[in-house]
Parts: sequence; structure tokens; C-alpha cells
Amino acid sequence: MPPILEVTNLTKRFGGVTAVNRVSLSLDAGRIYGLIGPNGSGKTTLFNCITGLVRRDAGEVRFKRRRIDGLKPHQVFHHGIGRTFQVIRVFPELTALENLMVVTTGDHARACRRAGELLRFVKIESLAGEYAGNLSYGQQKLLEFIRVLMTDPELILLDEPAAGVNRTLLNELLDAVRALRDRGKTILLVEHDMKVVMGLCETVFVLDHGEKLAEGPPGVIQSDERVIEAYFGR
Amino acid sequence: MNPFITPVMLGQVIISGLLAGSLYAMVALGLGLIFGVMRVLNIAHGPLLMLGAYVTFWLFSTVGLNPYLSLLVSMPLLYLLGMLLQRFLVRRVVDAPELSSLLLTFGVSIALVNVAQLAFTSDLRAVEYLTGSFVLGPFAFSKSRVIACAIAIAITVSAFLFLQKTRLGKAIRAVSQSREVAQVCGINVGRIHMIAFGLASALAAAGGSLVAVMVAIQPEMGQVYTFKSFLVIVLGGAGNYPGALLGGLLLGLIEQVSSLFLTTQVNEAVAYILLVLVLLVRPTGLLGGRAS
Repeated sequence: MPPILEVTNLTKRFGGVTAVNRVSLSLDAGRIYGLIGPNGSGKTTLFNCITGLVRRDAGEVRFKRRRIDGLKPHQVFHHGIGRTFQVIRVFPELTALENLMVVTTGDHARACRRAGELLRFVKIESLAGEYAGNLSYGQQKLLEFIRVLMTDPELILLDEPAAGVNRTLLNELLDAVRALRDRGKTILLVEHDMKVVMGLCETVFVLDHGEKLAEGPPGVIQSDERVIEAYFGR
Repeated sequence: MNPFITPVMLGQVIISGLLAGSLYAMVALGLGLIFGVMRVLNIAHGPLLMLGAYVTFWLFSTVGLNPYLSLLVSMPLLYLLGMLLQRFLVRRVVDAPELSSLLLTFGVSIALVNVAQLAFTSDLRAVEYLTGSFVLGPFAFSKSRVIACAIAIAITVSAFLFLQKTRLGKAIRAVSQSREVAQVCGINVGRIHMIAFGLASALAAAGGSLVAVMVAIQPEMGQVYTFKSFLVIVLGGAGNYPGALLGGLLLGLIEQVSSLFLTTQVNEAVAYILLVLVLLVRPTGLLGGRAS
């Protein structure tokens, strides 16, 4: 099977700063990948390049063999890539249900059904009519997470899903991520919580100063000297 | 100063104020929509209204079309023009600093006024269709203003229901709340911007067609509506759509009530003074808008 996502020599500069420098990664379908690295190492920029929110300066992104670099974000979305943001981004002045319903999908009735299922899936169905801005932090996090699932994307990019989430909620989220993987979805997540990364991911990529420093199973990465050095200094 | 103000006079100006205010609210909703969705203050909003008035005048004087039916032409026509303006001009300045979009729409505004001068000359035109008043007890209401008010309310309510209830309306609100998130939810933001600009222009056109029956039509009639719409959204709170309604009604009321006390020339300044006051005292608007 060819990789579902293939990033080749991706480069993005902001002025004189090279935020992402010739990064290549390859993701196989049905696995959970971690993306780690110190602050400012280019993780979110890499996400933004993949989803089309910022335009790469050089390199290629292929999704299911098709070039998607250069596409607009909504076009990338329609190819089957969903994402969440580091800081929760829900539409505060739309209700929880409306937050799901604005996701562009074909058939209205099906979207309604799907939205209902997802709200029940994370047990916030009683809040469907509440403005998203009035939900608790954890509820907003869940809402943003299930919004990604509205269209059943093949590849899901999660930017710090565990940040600021209590342990009960975290376990639910992690179970949900594993359940998605078991259904054949591919997940790439940025995470600072090493316990989460070690317990969840099958392969970890390490970024430092915009470059890919290392790649491998979490156990190996954890003891990689270069990685330790990047995080803690020499 | 008029020392003889009777309750009937007061009642009369309040009613006139509400009649005028509903029209302001509808027109300002358009300006507020563009501002809310793409943070662009469209100086050309009033001149678009002027074009709507000319469409009505032209259809009335050439084929004798009922001015109220001409809304069915002016609104779609201006919807299209608005989409084109967005697609080819405004799109370029959506992410630019505010000054760029102000300059651009100011330029569009000048161009529209000049095109109207070339096409229709600067002569004052009128659509003499409906004169006279409805009389109810001691009060009299100009027929054209009552009808304009009713149509404006109907259009404004429809626009609201559209924004609140339909998926496209929700997508428009989603884009105005966060463009980035809307994009990763699969919403084509460029398309939404075009639709929003088109809708806003159609609302301006409706205003133009309705005032065509009430006031003299000339190429520079529009600018004052840009200004008043701006005042209305400042009153109501930028980006706050229900606030625009309240702001419109308030502006109509204040203008009319102050006309009891002030001469016509001084009264023209009331709206301007009000704008300065609101910006000084409560810049987020009466209902509180989103910080921009």
C-alpha cells in the first residue's frame, strides 16, 4: 500500500525565518503518528502547510498520491483531511449543533443524523442548542474534535488534543482516537504530553528548528540523544 | 426652536422616525454584513444604493414599471454587481490593512458616482408614483414611507431568517466568527465573501429603489447613506446584526425628534454629532459588538 500522506522536502519561510526546512514524512493508512518538538520548532506551521492555510515555499504534499500542496484549505478538506487547532476554535456564536452543521457535507438529512450521533458519542447531546461560547473548555474541546469527524475524513490532524484536558476527558479522547485508528483512519497529532505520545503513537517524528531531527518508535525516540539535547540542551 | 410642541406632534415624529429607521436598518444591515464577514468598511455602500434608485427611475421612466416591482430587478442586478466587485476588487484588500480597503472602496464609490453622472447626468430626477398620506386620527403618514417601511421590514426579516436558519446563512456567520476554522470545515471563504458582498449590495439596492419614490434622485444622493449606515452599525455595535436593527430605528427616531427642536440645517448635523458622541462614550456600540 502506498503511503496515505507523503510530505517531501517541504519548506516554509516567514521573512528571514525558515519555519519548516526540507521536512519529509510519510504516513501509512490506519496508524497513529506523533509530531513532537520544542516550541517554535515548526509543528503548527507544518500542519498549516498540509491543510493549505499557509502556502509552502518549496516541496510537495501528496495525499493518496494526489498533489494537494497549492490547494485552498476547503479543497484540502474535501480531499479528506480534517484538523483541530492548538487553541480551541469553535464558532462561539453558533450553537453546538450549528457548529457541526456548518461543516460542508452533501446531504442535509444525513448531516443532521451524523451531528446527533457525534454529540451522543461524546455525551454532550443535551447541549446541542447551547451557544458554543457558553460551553466549558472541555466541552468545546470535544465539540471541536467531533466537528472534524462530521465528514469522516481519512486523515485527522490533531494539534495538542490533551492540552488543558482533565484525565477522565483525556482518556475518553484517547479511546476515541484509538477507535478511529481501528476503523482505518490515520491520525497525526502534535502533543507535548510525552505520556500521551508514548501511549498512543506508533511512530514519532521529532522537529527542531524547522528540521526533522528524528523518526521512529516512541521508545527509541525517547532515548535518542539528539532528541534529549533538543529538548533540554547539552 | 419650536415652543409649541403638542403630544400629537411628538407622536407624529416618533412614527415618522420609526418609518425612516426601518429603512436605515435594512441598508445598514448590508454595510454591517460586509464589515462583519470581511472587516471591510464599504464606502461604496451608499453609491450602490444610488444605483438601485436609478434602476427604479430608469425602469419607471422607460417602461413605466411599478417602482415597488422594480426591486425585483434592482436587487438581483446589484447582487451581481456586488459579487463582481468582490471577486475582482475587494478580494485583493480583505487581508490588507484597513486603510487599503477604505481607499479602494472610496475609489469604487467615486467611480460609481461618476458613471452615474455620465449615464444619467447630474439633473435631479423623481419617480412620481405615490403621493398623499394615510390619515389615522390626528396622525398622517406619507403613503410612500409606509409602504417603504413595510417592504424594508419584510426584507430585513427575511435577511435575518436567512442568516439564522439556512446552512448558507450559518456558513456566512461562521466565516465572520473565524475565517480559518471555516476554511478547515470545508467552507469556500472566497465564495462566501462574494455572496455576502452581493447580499449587502442587494440590500443597498432595495433601499435605493424604496427611497426613489420619496426623494430626488441624483448621482451624489448615496454618500449620506454610507455615513448613516456607518453610524447605525456604530450605534448597534460592529459585527452585531440585531444591533444594526436597533441602531437604525434609533437613528430614525433621533433625527425626527430633534427636527422638532432644530432648524433643518442644524438638524442635518445631529447624526454627525451623535456619531462622535458614541465613538467617544461607547465605542463598542449600545449592545456591544465584537472587538475588532
